[in-house]
Amino acid sequence: MPEFKIQHITKYSYDNFVRDSANNIILFPIVDIYQDVIKHDLVITGNPQVDTYVDYYGNEVGSFTNTEPHNQLIINSQLLVNTHARALPVDNMFASEQWNELFNLRYIVPYIDFLKQEYFEGLSELQPVVENERKTEDTPYHTALKFCQYVYKNFEYIKGVTTVETTLDEIWKIKAGVCQDFAHLLMVMLRLVGIPARYVSGYICPNRDGMRGEGATHAWAEAYIPGYGWLGIDPTNNCIANEMHVRLAVGRNFSDCSPVKGVYKGSANHKLEVSVSVGYEDNHLPEEKDIFTASTLPKTETTASRNSYARYMEIVQQQQQQQQ
Amino acid sequence: MYQSQHFEKYNLINGVWDEMYSENSIVRHHYKKVIEYLAQESPDDLGKKEELAKNLFMTQGITFTVYNSGEGIEKIFPFDIIPRVITSDEWCIIEKGIKQRLTALNLFLKDIYHNQFIVKDGIVPIDIIYSCPHFLREMYQLNVPYDIYVHIAGIDLIRDHDGTFYVLEDNLRTPSGVSYMLENREITKRLFPDLLPNCGVRSVTEYPSILYKNLLSLSPRQISNPTIVLLSPGIYNSAYFEHTTLARLMGVELVEGRDLVVNNHKVYMKTTTGLQQVDVIYRRVDDEFLDPLVFNPNSVLGVAGLMGAYRKGNVAIVNAVGNGVADDKATYIYVPDMIKYYLNEEPLLKNVPTHRLSNKDERDHVFKNINTMVVKKTNESGGYGMLMGHAATEEEIEKYKLEILKDPRNFIAQPTISLSAAPCYIGGALQPRRIDLRPYALCGPDGIEIVPGGLTRVALKEGSLVVNSSQGGGSKDTWVLA
Repeated sequence: MPEFKIQHITKYSYDNFVRDSANNIILFPIVDIYQDVIKHDLVITGNPQVDTYVDYYGNEVGSFTNTEPHNQLIINSQLLVNTHARALPVDNMFASEQWNELFNLRYIVPYIDFLKQEYFEGLSELQPVVENERKTEDTPYHTALKFCQYVYKNFEYIKGVTTVETTLDEIWKIKAGVCQDFAHLLMVMLRLVGIPARYVSGYICPNRDGMRGEGATHAWAEAYIPGYGWLGIDPTNNCIANEMHVRLAVGRNFSDCSPVKGVYKGSANHKLEVSVSVGYEDNHLPEEKDIFTASTLPKTETTASRNSYARYMEIVQQQQQQQQ
Repeated sequence: MYQSQHFEKYNLINGVWDEMYSENSIVRHHYKKVIEYLAQESPDDLGKKEELAKNLFMTQGITFTVYNSGEGIEKIFPFDIIPRVITSDEWCIIEKGIKQRLTALNLFLKDIYHNQFIVKDGIVPIDIIYSCPHFLREMYQLNVPYDIYVHIAGIDLIRDHDGTFYVLEDNLRTPSGVSYMLENREITKRLFPDLLPNCGVRSVTEYPSILYKNLLSLSPRQISNPTIVLLSPGIYNSAYFEHTTLARLMGVELVEGRDLVVNNHKVYMKTTTGLQQVDVIYRRVDDEFLDPLVFNPNSVLGVAGLMGAYRKGNVAIVNAVGNGVADDKATYIYVPDMIKYYLNEEPLLKNVPTHRLSNKDERDHVFKNINTMVVKKTNESGGYGMLMGHAATEEEIEKYKLEILKDPRNFIAQPTISLSAAPCYIGGALQPRRIDLRPYALCGPDGIEIVPGGLTRVALKEGSLVVNSSQGGGSKDTWVLA
């Protein structure tokens, strides 16, 4: 029953004053029998009133605004979380029976959302890979682990190589990415064979050997296994996500779960720095490790447009686009 | 009987319901007074009236922009001076039918965003809902005042060759055109001042006051003078004239997204004397652009944080967000089933038979008979992206087929319905042109009200079946007789 102390700081700095910012944060760990939140301190610049609600996927979302001019926004989330290991699937049902069960979930809520795969160009190349990896006698559980290994082995983990706006096509071409890309790829493969797959955002808590994905928010996938439920699989580390993974949110993809997103008014560029540090309860927090700049991390805010004409044309076009 | 030269060129179109003449070229009873009046007028008089109407439209700035027409944004909405007449019996069917339909559609939206009974019971296929881009998961379990989602509906009706009314489509998001209904009547009053009372034409002018009353009743704050605003995309929108007209007629503020700001889950309007809290927003901006925080982050038309205020119940939004799942053309197919399911009633208004192209058998059938079909995109409106099978070239058809095969879910097909014809004053004589009818229904806490009338749209080109204003169609005044 490990207990983790997590500090997650998101810092936006603007090179000019901005105002009227509105933000959504998904930084509240999921609470269930495998995960308890003992303490959660959330400190935000300007002490705004944070309203929370539960979204369609069951995630707790906080929202707040800041209308005053400001040139900095810091969201400091400090957590004390307690996790419990979950037994792995027994996997003693016949494979055919399990595939049948999955087949029958195709048009059932919520699975329907987690089976739909958007089109991307690499799909035609990925299809034979998937067919090749999967053997008919394999259970969904086995298949999921094989796919996880495939992603782990065939894609290179390079910090900062992609951003949240990088498409699956690009990732498929460069055969490299960060944790969210690994998660997305695994989800595509699972969905192709009819295993419902969802995206998970959260934190990874390091063991002695160190793990990929430390120092920032982490992401992995969950596959729906008949007779078991959602099984966390971390293709970045090629392991089952269990008591070392702290879950914040689930969804169809990254954008359903993005930990912090916001928009503001003002013609300023912004820099985003995120740091995540995790320690065991009896130890002090380790030093902050990584500072990411805006180019490598969620760029959800409108960057200043320096071309006023282009901006004007965009406004005209949007006004005309409204239907009915 | 009518020797006037206006009627010489009026040739009935074969196999088409004519609003004025019955099959034996006998003038229908409800058109008699209009026709008698017109017969007395010299062609010169009618020509003058037409000229007057044009001038009035221009000087009053009653415009509708047709994008890419190269005529700038101030293009007048073509108006035909001859009114379209509807009997009180016909109106009775329309009114009852629309009320029934709208009641079911509101129940459907509430259900889809809460318990989803209709999906669980297999009445509406779940994949239609979950593959619809306008099914907004952000609306799930969000409660709206009085469970009303569709406050304003524009239901498009057409008449087949035997005169039966059919619903062609439901417009439940931000239906436009009602200001033209009001303006057409104002102009007609000046063109034919005596004729309206003589014929016993029912009034439509109550529309803005009914809408205003409904907007007031939605205010979350129980105060005597809540702030109501009309949120417009801006001057480049084709219906900007309508936005200004409705705001003026109701006496509410006309705002754009940049005039509003959200603070602590409340919406405020920026005024010269500071921020003023907004209670009700009648928005004419699409869902996708409404809140850049939740929907399209590049939107400059919306208000960041608006959905948060909406969810907290601090502001009412008209129409509700997420209605597109109900007026999607694939959902349309199931509206008669919804009426039976929720109301336990037989639908009073018929649907046009519609094929889902995601179903292979139906798709094959449509491809084989494409010359008699109209193919439409499921979530477009305004007549954009349509294929009229009988008028398209081989090449156009082949190109369109490829597009369909890429994403069949996004297309439906309907047999070409002939649309009824009504007399229009064109080139100095009366000529039949195809028309449809869009009545406007208003749903408030007291129930559904429909002003007797609507927008009759006309396909001005001879032989054309496309009445959409955005495709160069015109309109005429619509008279419902008492």
